[in-house]
Amino acid sequence: MRCIKCRKPANVEVRRHRSAFCAGCYPGWFRDQIERAVSHDKMFTRDQKVLVAVSGGKDSLALWHALHQLGYQVDGMYIRLGIAEYSRRSQAKSEAFAEKHGLTLHQVDLEGDEGFKVPDLAHERDGKPCASCGTVKRYHFNKLAADLGYSVVATGHNLDDEAATLFGNVVHWQTDYLGRQGPVLESTHPKLVRKVKPLYRLAERDTAAYAVIERIDYILEECPMAKGAKSLEYKDLLNRLEETQPGAKHRFLVGFLKQGRQAVKGAEPVTLRECANCGQPTTAEVCAYCRMVERGKRRKALRA
Amino acid sequence: MRVTILPDRRVEEMEPSTVAEVLKRLGLHSDAYLVVRDEEILTRDVRLRAEDAVDVIPVISGGSCAA
Repeated sequence: MRCIKCRKPANVEVRRHRSAFCAGCYPGWFRDQIERAVSHDKMFTRDQKVLVAVSGGKDSLALWHALHQLGYQVDGMYIRLGIAEYSRRSQAKSEAFAEKHGLTLHQVDLEGDEGFKVPDLAHERDGKPCASCGTVKRYHFNKLAADLGYSVVATGHNLDDEAATLFGNVVHWQTDYLGRQGPVLESTHPKLVRKVKPLYRLAERDTAAYAVIERIDYILEECPMAKGAKSLEYKDLLNRLEETQPGAKHRFLVGFLKQGRQAVKGAEPVTLRECANCGQPTTAEVCAYCRMVERGKRRKALRA
Repeated sequence: MRVTILPDRRVEEMEPSTVAEVLKRLGLHSDAYLVVRDEEILTRDVRLRAEDAVDVIPVISGGSCAA
Protein backbone atom coordinates (compact mmCIF):
# COMPACT_ATOMS: atom_id res chain seq x y z
CA MET A 1 0.00 0.00 0.00
CA ARG A 2 1.37 3.43 -0.97
CA CYS A 3 0.88 6.93 0.44
CA ILE A 4 -1.58 8.80 -1.79
CA LYS A 5 0.47 11.98 -1.38
CA CYS A 6 4.11 10.96 -1.88
CA ARG A 7 3.90 7.28 -3.01
CA LYS A 8 6.19 6.08 -0.20
CA PRO A 9 5.10 2.89 1.62
CA ALA A 10 1.99 3.74 3.64
CA ASN A 11 1.64 3.44 7.42
CA VAL A 12 -1.97 4.41 8.01
CA GLU A 13 -4.88 3.30 5.89
CA VAL A 14 -8.14 5.28 6.06
CA ARG A 15 -10.52 2.80 4.47
CA ARG A 16 -13.62 5.01 4.55
CA HIS A 17 -11.77 7.56 2.36
CA ARG A 18 -10.08 4.84 0.26
CA SER A 19 -6.78 6.52 1.27
CA ALA A 20 -3.47 5.67 2.87
CA PHE A 21 -0.65 7.87 4.16
CA CYS A 22 2.97 7.46 5.19
CA ALA A 23 4.07 8.58 8.66
CA GLY A 24 5.45 11.81 7.16
CA CYS A 25 2.23 12.85 5.36
CA TYR A 26 -0.33 11.51 7.85
CA PRO A 27 -0.12 14.22 10.58
CA GLY A 28 -0.73 16.93 7.99
CA TRP A 29 -3.80 15.10 6.67
CA PHE A 30 -5.09 14.58 10.24
CA ARG A 31 -4.68 18.25 11.18
CA ASP A 32 -6.25 19.29 7.89
CA GLN A 33 -9.36 17.24 8.78
CA ILE A 34 -9.58 19.08 12.11
CA GLU A 35 -9.07 22.46 10.44
CA ARG A 36 -11.89 21.63 7.99
CA ALA A 37 -14.27 20.61 10.80
CA VAL A 38 -13.46 23.77 12.80
CA SER A 39 -14.07 25.93 9.73
CA HIS A 40 -17.07 23.99 8.29
CA ASP A 41 -18.98 24.04 11.60
CA LYS A 42 -17.72 27.52 12.57
CA MET A 43 -16.40 26.16 15.89
CA PHE A 44 -13.91 28.89 16.80
CA THR A 45 -11.28 31.21 15.36
CA ARG A 46 -7.62 31.83 16.15
CA ASP A 47 -8.66 34.97 18.09
CA GLN A 48 -10.64 32.94 20.63
CA LYS A 49 -9.32 31.22 23.76
CA VAL A 50 -10.26 27.53 23.65
CA LEU A 51 -10.31 25.17 26.64
CA VAL A 52 -9.62 21.54 25.72
CA ALA A 53 -11.15 18.94 28.05
CA VAL A 54 -8.24 16.57 28.73
CA SER A 55 -8.42 13.00 30.08
CA GLY A 56 -4.88 11.77 29.39
CA GLY A 57 -6.26 9.51 26.64
CA LYS A 58 -5.34 9.54 22.96
CA ASP A 59 -8.28 11.63 21.71
CA SER A 60 -8.01 14.63 24.01
CA LEU A 61 -4.20 14.76 23.86
CA ALA A 62 -4.17 14.35 20.06
CA LEU A 63 -6.76 17.13 19.80
CA TRP A 64 -4.80 19.44 22.11
CA HIS A 65 -1.57 18.69 20.19
CA ALA A 66 -3.15 19.24 16.76
CA LEU A 67 -4.92 22.49 17.69
CA HIS A 68 -1.68 23.82 19.22
CA GLN A 69 0.23 22.86 16.06
CA LEU A 70 -2.43 24.62 13.97
CA GLY A 71 -1.82 27.84 15.91
CA TYR A 72 -4.99 28.01 18.01
CA GLN A 73 -4.96 29.43 21.56
CA VAL A 74 -5.57 26.25 23.53
CA ASP A 75 -5.29 25.52 27.23
CA GLY A 76 -6.24 22.23 28.86
CA MET A 77 -8.45 21.20 31.74
CA TYR A 78 -8.20 17.96 33.67
CA ILE A 79 -10.61 16.66 36.34
CA ARG A 80 -9.19 14.39 39.03
CA LEU A 81 -12.03 11.87 39.10
CA GLY A 82 -10.58 9.71 41.88
CA ILE A 83 -10.64 6.41 39.95
CA ALA A 84 -7.64 5.05 41.90
CA GLU A 85 -4.52 4.14 39.89
CA TYR A 86 -6.21 4.92 36.55
CA SER A 87 -6.76 8.56 37.60
CA ARG A 88 -3.23 8.91 38.96
CA ARG A 89 -1.77 7.64 35.68
CA SER A 90 -4.02 9.74 33.45
CA GLN A 91 -3.26 12.85 35.53
CA ALA A 92 0.48 12.19 35.18
CA LYS A 93 0.14 11.78 31.38
CA SER A 94 -1.85 15.03 31.09
CA GLU A 95 0.61 16.98 33.24
CA ALA A 96 3.63 15.57 31.36
CA PHE A 97 2.06 16.52 28.00
CA ALA A 98 1.35 20.09 29.16
CA GLU A 99 4.88 20.48 30.49
CA LYS A 100 6.53 19.05 27.36
CA HIS A 101 4.65 21.46 25.09
CA GLY A 102 4.70 24.47 27.45
CA LEU A 103 0.89 24.56 27.70
CA THR A 104 -1.39 25.57 30.58
CA LEU A 105 -3.35 22.79 32.29
CA HIS A 106 -6.12 23.76 34.72
CA GLN A 107 -7.26 21.09 37.19
CA VAL A 108 -10.27 20.34 39.37
CA ASP A 109 -9.81 17.91 42.26
CA LEU A 110 -13.18 16.25 42.79
CA GLU A 111 -12.39 14.72 46.18
CA GLY A 112 -10.49 17.74 47.53
CA ASP A 113 -12.91 20.39 46.20
CA GLU A 114 -16.25 18.54 46.28
CA GLY A 115 -15.77 15.75 48.84
CA PHE A 116 -16.56 12.75 46.60
CA LYS A 117 -15.00 10.57 43.88
CA VAL A 118 -16.57 9.17 40.71
CA PRO A 119 -16.68 5.55 42.06
CA ASP A 120 -18.96 6.90 44.85
CA LEU A 121 -21.53 7.70 42.15
CA ALA A 122 -22.06 4.14 40.86
CA HIS A 123 -25.59 3.58 39.63
CA GLU A 124 -27.73 1.51 42.01
CA ARG A 125 -28.95 -0.81 39.22
CA ASP A 126 -25.88 -1.56 37.08
CA GLY A 127 -23.14 -0.44 39.49
CA LYS A 128 -21.64 1.85 36.83
CA PRO A 129 -20.83 5.52 37.39
CA CYS A 130 -20.40 6.33 33.65
CA ALA A 131 -23.57 8.43 33.32
CA SER A 132 -22.76 10.34 36.52
CA CYS A 133 -19.14 10.75 35.40
CA GLY A 134 -20.48 12.40 32.24
CA THR A 135 -22.56 14.80 34.35
CA VAL A 136 -19.50 15.61 36.51
CA LYS A 137 -17.34 16.34 33.45
CA ARG A 138 -19.94 18.45 31.65
CA TYR A 139 -20.61 20.46 34.83
CA HIS A 140 -16.99 21.21 35.73
CA PHE A 141 -15.72 21.81 32.20
CA ASN A 142 -18.50 24.36 31.71
CA LYS A 143 -18.11 25.97 35.13
CA LEU A 144 -14.33 26.34 34.91
CA ALA A 145 -14.48 27.63 31.32
CA ALA A 146 -17.13 30.21 32.27
CA ASP A 147 -15.30 31.24 35.47
CA LEU A 148 -11.99 31.71 33.61
CA GLY A 149 -13.49 33.49 30.60
CA TYR A 150 -13.05 30.84 27.87
CA SER A 151 -15.60 31.25 25.10
CA VAL A 152 -15.51 27.65 23.95
CA VAL A 153 -14.79 24.15 25.31
CA ALA A 154 -13.43 21.53 22.87
CA THR A 155 -13.80 17.82 23.65
CA GLY A 156 -12.11 14.80 22.07
CA HIS A 157 -15.32 13.06 20.94
CA ASN A 158 -14.50 11.25 17.72
CA LEU A 159 -16.49 9.61 14.93
CA ASP A 160 -16.76 6.31 16.85
CA ASP A 161 -17.99 8.06 20.02
CA GLU A 162 -20.56 10.05 18.10
CA ALA A 163 -21.75 7.12 15.97
CA ALA A 164 -22.08 4.94 19.12
CA THR A 165 -24.03 7.67 20.94
CA LEU A 166 -26.29 8.10 17.92
CA PHE A 167 -26.81 4.34 17.70
CA GLY A 168 -27.72 4.16 21.42
CA ASN A 169 -30.12 7.08 21.12
CA VAL A 170 -31.80 5.48 18.10
CA VAL A 171 -32.06 2.06 19.78
CA HIS A 172 -33.79 3.69 22.75
CA TRP A 173 -35.53 6.40 20.66
CA GLN A 174 -34.21 9.19 22.86
CA THR A 175 -35.62 11.88 20.61
CA ASP A 176 -34.72 14.74 22.95
CA TYR A 177 -31.05 13.65 22.93
CA LEU A 178 -31.14 13.00 19.16
CA GLY A 179 -32.35 16.55 18.55
CA ARG A 180 -29.40 17.95 20.49
CA GLN A 181 -26.62 15.70 19.14
CA GLY A 182 -24.11 17.48 16.94
CA PRO A 183 -20.56 18.79 16.65
CA VAL A 184 -21.51 22.17 18.12
CA LEU A 185 -23.64 22.84 21.19
CA GLU A 186 -24.45 26.54 21.12
CA SER A 187 -24.49 28.69 24.22
CA THR A 188 -28.09 29.53 25.13
CA HIS A 189 -27.34 31.10 28.51
CA PRO A 190 -24.65 33.57 29.67
CA LYS A 191 -23.19 30.87 31.96
CA LEU A 192 -23.32 28.10 29.35
CA VAL A 193 -20.09 27.93 27.34
CA ARG A 194 -20.21 26.77 23.71
CA LYS A 195 -19.11 23.11 23.29
CA VAL A 196 -17.46 21.78 20.14
CA LYS A 197 -16.14 18.42 18.91
CA PRO A 198 -13.42 19.02 16.30
CA LEU A 199 -12.64 15.25 15.97
CA TYR A 200 -16.18 14.21 15.05
CA ARG A 201 -15.22 13.21 11.49
CA LEU A 202 -12.07 11.33 12.58
CA ALA A 203 -12.18 7.71 13.75
CA GLU A 204 -10.63 6.43 16.98
CA ARG A 205 -8.10 4.56 14.86
CA ASP A 206 -7.13 7.87 13.19
CA THR A 207 -6.48 9.63 16.51
CA ALA A 208 -4.54 6.65 17.89
CA ALA A 209 -2.38 6.61 14.72
CA TYR A 210 -1.75 10.36 15.11
CA ALA A 211 -0.74 9.87 18.76
CA VAL A 212 1.67 7.03 17.86
CA ILE A 213 3.27 8.95 14.98
CA GLU A 214 3.56 12.20 16.96
CA ARG A 215 4.97 10.27 19.95
CA ILE A 216 2.20 11.47 22.25
CA ASP A 217 2.42 9.53 25.51
CA TYR A 218 -1.20 8.74 26.40
CA ILE A 219 -2.93 6.34 28.80
CA LEU A 220 -3.60 3.18 26.84
CA GLU A 221 -5.67 1.35 29.43
CA GLU A 222 -9.43 1.49 29.34
CA CYS A 223 -11.12 3.25 32.26
CA PRO A 224 -11.76 0.34 34.70
CA MET A 225 -15.23 1.71 35.46
CA ALA A 226 -16.20 1.57 31.74
CA LYS A 227 -15.79 -2.22 31.38
CA GLY A 228 -19.06 -3.60 30.03
CA ALA A 229 -20.38 -0.11 29.22
CA LYS A 230 -23.10 0.02 26.56
CA SER A 231 -21.04 2.48 24.49
CA LEU A 232 -18.36 -0.21 24.04
CA GLU A 233 -20.97 -2.72 22.92
CA TYR A 234 -22.32 -0.26 20.35
CA LYS A 235 -18.79 0.49 19.10
CA ASP A 236 -18.14 -3.22 18.66
CA LEU A 237 -21.34 -3.64 16.65
CA LEU A 238 -20.51 -0.65 14.45
CA ASN A 239 -16.94 -1.88 13.89
CA ARG A 240 -18.31 -5.24 12.76
CA LEU A 241 -20.39 -3.37 10.20
CA GLU A 242 -17.42 -1.20 9.21
CA GLU A 243 -15.35 -4.32 8.53
CA THR A 244 -17.60 -5.30 5.62
CA GLN A 245 -18.92 -1.83 4.76
CA PRO A 246 -16.09 0.71 5.08
CA GLY A 247 -17.53 4.17 5.70
CA ALA A 248 -20.73 2.89 7.36
CA LYS A 249 -20.06 4.79 10.63
CA HIS A 250 -19.30 8.00 8.76
CA ARG A 251 -22.42 7.71 6.58
CA PHE A 252 -24.55 6.93 9.65
CA LEU A 253 -23.37 9.99 11.59
CA VAL A 254 -22.96 12.54 8.81
CA GLY A 255 -26.23 11.41 7.18
CA PHE A 256 -28.00 11.96 10.49
CA LEU A 257 -26.47 15.43 10.95
CA LYS A 258 -27.44 16.44 7.41
CA GLN A 259 -30.86 14.85 7.14
CA GLY A 260 -32.08 13.18 10.32
CA ARG A 261 -31.42 15.68 13.09
CA GLN A 262 -33.78 18.33 11.77
CA ALA A 263 -36.62 15.81 11.71
CA VAL A 264 -36.35 15.03 15.43
CA LYS A 265 -35.46 18.52 16.66
CA GLY A 266 -38.03 19.82 19.12
CA ALA A 267 -40.06 22.80 17.99
CA GLU A 268 -39.60 24.69 21.24
CA PRO A 269 -36.09 25.75 22.34
CA VAL A 270 -35.16 24.58 25.84
CA THR A 271 -35.39 27.39 28.40
CA LEU A 272 -32.48 27.55 30.85
CA ARG A 273 -32.43 29.15 34.29
CA GLU A 274 -29.94 29.20 37.13
CA CYS A 275 -29.79 26.31 39.61
CA ALA A 276 -31.28 27.34 42.96
CA ASN A 277 -28.35 25.65 44.70
CA CYS A 278 -25.19 26.43 42.67
CA GLY A 279 -26.25 29.03 40.10
CA GLN A 280 -25.17 27.00 37.07
CA PRO A 281 -27.50 26.85 34.03
CA THR A 282 -30.16 24.13 34.14
CA THR A 283 -33.65 23.31 32.89
CA ALA A 284 -34.82 22.33 36.39
CA GLU A 285 -35.12 24.09 39.75
CA VAL A 286 -31.98 22.26 40.95
CA CYS A 287 -29.40 21.11 38.35
CA ALA A 288 -28.60 17.45 37.56
CA TYR A 289 -25.16 17.80 39.15
CA CYS A 290 -26.46 19.08 42.51
CA ARG A 291 -29.20 16.43 42.56
CA MET A 292 -26.61 13.74 41.82
CA VAL A 293 -24.26 14.95 44.57
CA GLU A 294 -27.16 15.03 47.03
CA ARG A 295 -28.15 11.46 46.10
CA GLY A 296 -24.53 10.35 46.55
CA LYS A 297 -24.35 11.94 50.01
CA ARG A 298 -27.60 10.27 51.09
CA ARG A 299 -26.37 6.84 49.92
CA LYS A 300 -23.03 7.41 51.67
CA ALA A 301 -24.82 8.31 54.93
CA LEU A 302 -26.99 5.17 54.67
CA ARG A 303 -23.91 2.99 54.15
CA ALA A 304 -22.09 4.59 57.13
CA MET B 1 6.74 -14.25 14.78
CA ARG B 2 5.94 -12.72 18.17
CA VAL B 3 2.69 -10.79 18.63
CA THR B 4 2.21 -8.79 21.84
CA ILE B 5 -1.37 -7.67 22.55
CA LEU B 6 -1.61 -4.51 24.62
CA PRO B 7 -2.46 -3.28 27.22
CA ASP B 8 -2.13 -6.65 29.03
CA ARG B 9 1.05 -7.57 27.04
CA ARG B 10 -0.28 -11.06 26.28
CA VAL B 11 2.19 -12.74 23.91
CA GLU B 12 1.24 -15.08 21.05
CA GLU B 13 3.65 -16.91 18.76
CA MET B 14 2.32 -17.11 15.19
CA GLU B 15 3.33 -18.33 11.77
CA PRO B 16 4.41 -15.47 9.46
CA SER B 17 1.45 -13.83 7.71
CA THR B 18 0.02 -10.45 6.74
CA VAL B 19 -1.12 -7.87 9.30
CA ALA B 20 -4.74 -8.46 8.24
CA GLU B 21 -4.31 -12.20 8.87
CA VAL B 22 -2.82 -11.57 12.35
CA LEU B 23 -5.90 -9.56 13.38
CA LYS B 24 -8.23 -12.14 11.83
CA ARG B 25 -6.55 -15.00 13.72
CA LEU B 26 -6.88 -13.04 16.96
CA GLY B 27 -10.54 -12.30 16.18
CA LEU B 28 -9.96 -8.52 16.28
CA HIS B 29 -11.53 -5.80 14.11
CA SER B 30 -9.08 -3.90 11.94
CA ASP B 31 -10.85 -0.63 12.86
CA ALA B 32 -10.30 -1.24 16.57
CA TYR B 33 -6.53 -1.98 16.58
CA LEU B 34 -3.21 -0.71 15.26
CA VAL B 35 -0.35 -3.10 14.51
CA VAL B 36 3.06 -1.56 15.21
CA ARG B 37 6.58 -2.86 14.50
CA ASP B 38 9.58 -0.88 15.85
CA GLU B 39 7.36 2.17 16.52
CA GLU B 40 6.11 2.07 12.91
CA ILE B 41 2.41 1.50 12.15
CA LEU B 42 1.80 -1.20 9.54
CA THR B 43 -1.00 -1.34 6.98
CA ARG B 44 -2.99 -4.57 6.72
CA ASP B 45 -1.27 -5.74 3.51
CA VAL B 46 2.25 -5.81 5.06
CA ARG B 47 3.69 -9.34 5.13
CA LEU B 48 5.47 -10.08 8.40
CA ARG B 49 8.57 -12.26 8.72
CA ALA B 50 9.30 -15.06 11.17
CA GLU B 51 11.78 -12.88 13.07
CA ASP B 52 9.32 -9.95 13.45
CA ALA B 53 7.92 -8.77 16.78
CA VAL B 54 4.77 -6.64 16.58
CA ASP B 55 2.54 -4.90 19.11
CA VAL B 56 -1.25 -4.91 18.70
CA ILE B 57 -2.61 -1.69 20.20
CA PRO B 58 -6.33 -1.21 21.00
CA VAL B 59 -7.78 2.14 19.96
CA ILE B 60 -11.26 1.94 21.51
CA SER B 61 -12.17 3.86 24.63
CA GLY B 62 -15.54 3.80 26.34
CA GLY B 63 -17.66 5.14 29.17
CA SER B 64 -19.85 8.19 29.25
CA CYS B 65 -17.88 10.65 27.20
CA ALA B 66 -14.44 11.48 25.94
CA ALA B 67 -12.91 14.32 27.88
